[in-house]
Amino acid sequence: MDIVLGLRIKGGVLVATSKAATRGISVIKVGDDKTRELNPNTLMAYTGEAGDTVQFAEYIMANTRLYGIRHDIELSPSAVASFTRNQLAKALRSRKPYQVNVLIAGFDPKTEKPTLNLIDYLASNVELPYAAHGYAAYYTMSLLDRHWKEGMTQEEGVVLMRMCIKELQTRLPVDFKGVYVKVVDKDGIRDVSALVYPDEYPEAEVTEELEVQQGEIAA
Amino acid sequence: MGSRRYDSRTTIFSPEGRLYQVEYAQEAISHAGTAIGILAKDGIVLAAERKVTSKLLEQDTSAEKMYTLNESMVCAVAGLNSDAGILVQNARKSAQDYLRTYNEEIPCEQLVKHVCNVKQGYTQHGGLRPFGVSFIYAGYDDIRQFQLYQSNPSGNYSGWKATSMGANKASAQTLLRQDYKDDMTLAEACELAVKILSKTMDNTNLTSEKLEFATVSKDAKDHVVHRIWQPDQIDQLLKDSGLGKEEDDE
Amino acid sequence: MSNPQEINGGSCVAMVGKDCVAIACDLRMGSQGLGVSNDFEKVFNYGDNVYLGLTGLATDVQTLHEVFREKTNLYKMAEERQIEPETFANLVSSTLYEKRFGPYFVGPIVAGINSKTEKPFICGFDLIGCIDFAKDFIVSGTASDMLYGMCESLWQPDLEPEDLFNTCSQALMCAMDRDPLGGWGAIVWIITKDKVVKKLLKTRQD
Repeated sequence: MDIVLGLRIKGGVLVATSKAATRGISVIKVGDDKTRELNPNTLMAYTGEAGDTVQFAEYIMANTRLYGIRHDIELSPSAVASFTRNQLAKALRSRKPYQVNVLIAGFDPKTEKPTLNLIDYLASNVELPYAAHGYAAYYTMSLLDRHWKEGMTQEEGVVLMRMCIKELQTRLPVDFKGVYVKVVDKDGIRDVSALVYPDEYPEAEVTEELEVQQGEIAA
Repeated sequence: MGSRRYDSRTTIFSPEGRLYQVEYAQEAISHAGTAIGILAKDGIVLAAERKVTSKLLEQDTSAEKMYTLNESMVCAVAGLNSDAGILVQNARKSAQDYLRTYNEEIPCEQLVKHVCNVKQGYTQHGGLRPFGVSFIYAGYDDIRQFQLYQSNPSGNYSGWKATSMGANKASAQTLLRQDYKDDMTLAEACELAVKILSKTMDNTNLTSEKLEFATVSKDAKDHVVHRIWQPDQIDQLLKDSGLGKEEDDE
Repeated sequence: MSNPQEINGGSCVAMVGKDCVAIACDLRMGSQGLGVSNDFEKVFNYGDNVYLGLTGLATDVQTLHEVFREKTNLYKMAEERQIEPETFANLVSSTLYEKRFGPYFVGPIVAGINSKTEKPFICGFDLIGCIDFAKDFIVSGTASDMLYGMCESLWQPDLEPEDLFNTCSQALMCAMDRDPLGGWGAIVWIITKDKVVKKLLKTRQD
């Protein structure tokens, strides 16, 4: 019942992933980040069979970064999505397929267009304005159908994201321990969870500045 | 000559640090018909001399020294045509494999690099001979726009504004150095190509039977187009540049 | 879920007219009941005069499109001409049969006009490549039962391009309306010897 949710905004893509890692009926971690930075302008969010997910995401990440090093140019987000689809499709007809569903959020610096791709474990790849995997889709699609608009600003996107998360908190039978929200745009990938949960991230107040030398604390 | 002891296997350096088989392969190319490539601001032209061996030879209408590699690249061949066929087939397949995995055309330099890696392999593995082919590649991609590359049997490649290979490559290169201008249009580049070939070819009588042309450019909709010219298009160019049959008598 | 051909949904239909053919598909791609995309085209073209409709499991639709694009591109370079519909149909057949014991879960249909003979050509396949030649129409996908009914009552021989477009569109739209896994817009291609028209049908969006 992991949440993987993404929506396109003006000049970028917002991605939310739930923080709970569960095994059976237990929550075993509350700060689980279900995303990987494939290259400076492409983010993958994943959900699925435990074990398969991280293995697969890091395999794609390694190959995408290797491409960047080898050829001195980064793959575009849509090329990364095609590559990911092909790897999943190959695995689908192997002895043990990866059971992983992913979202690929990216900003192509060449075309200056943000893209969001939904790829399921069967390796169907579709480019969408907003997307979600699993049960989260059933609860959020209607909200997104109603409120998503082409060219929304980041602020409007954050408001819509907050609506979706609130709905999920209300309707899902288990606590998913909140979400991490990230944005992919022309400046790269950033964590913007603080914008979605302003209450939980009070601005740190600096009362006193101390200069600490290395080794001083231990002494 | 101490070469005999070291030239039978490609894997062995001679005491002077040379790989004779690779040098012999390069020598083979220097007897092939001349081919040149010119990079213009709005496209690229490849031109090659076809050696007609006999009157009785069936004149195949299709080009034998120009090959399409994918939607955005063509190449010209100098050397063993049969060897070239293998490399071209390999290049076409890997260009399509790239397109299938990434749903984007392969960047030109990557495809050139791929062909060169294959070529290099045959200068190192024992018992095999190197590919006796040089290529001039013309292509377009979003990364570096119009590009011109040349590769040789050793597996080295480099990018050029204008280049030549085959017999008379030196004199073609001199002419290119003299007449190449940075802001040339494709039409001007085509004319320059004919002019240079007319001077370097042994046969002074230029006809479409002895020439092959290929171009990469953009159409009105800004799409990349490449074409290997038909004989009548070459004849037209010869006529326009005043080098065709009509002026034989001068 | 048990039937891979019905997870994502979608339908295609091809019809023969007088010196023309039509091929159409819906645009929905779903995950069982949930609609995912309303922009999922299932008709692809390879060269000027060969069209392939692919219904069934979306991943296999995409894989096969990529495979046929590769094969036809290589064919075009080797033969220095584009592939003809009849040749392409045999390529589809053998490509599918290669996977006889682990098939692609698709229902392909081919439509086109032979550039030499100028004769219209359509055919359909089962998932392992058995060719079904037809002189009238071919249907496939989750609305195929309804499409059979519609085509059998609407189709007639020697329709002109305009009439063929109407017949084909009506057949697909009415069949889609009774298919919960299809719809969400449609694309219709009308192919004649020297002109190809692609039309987008809005249709019901529910």
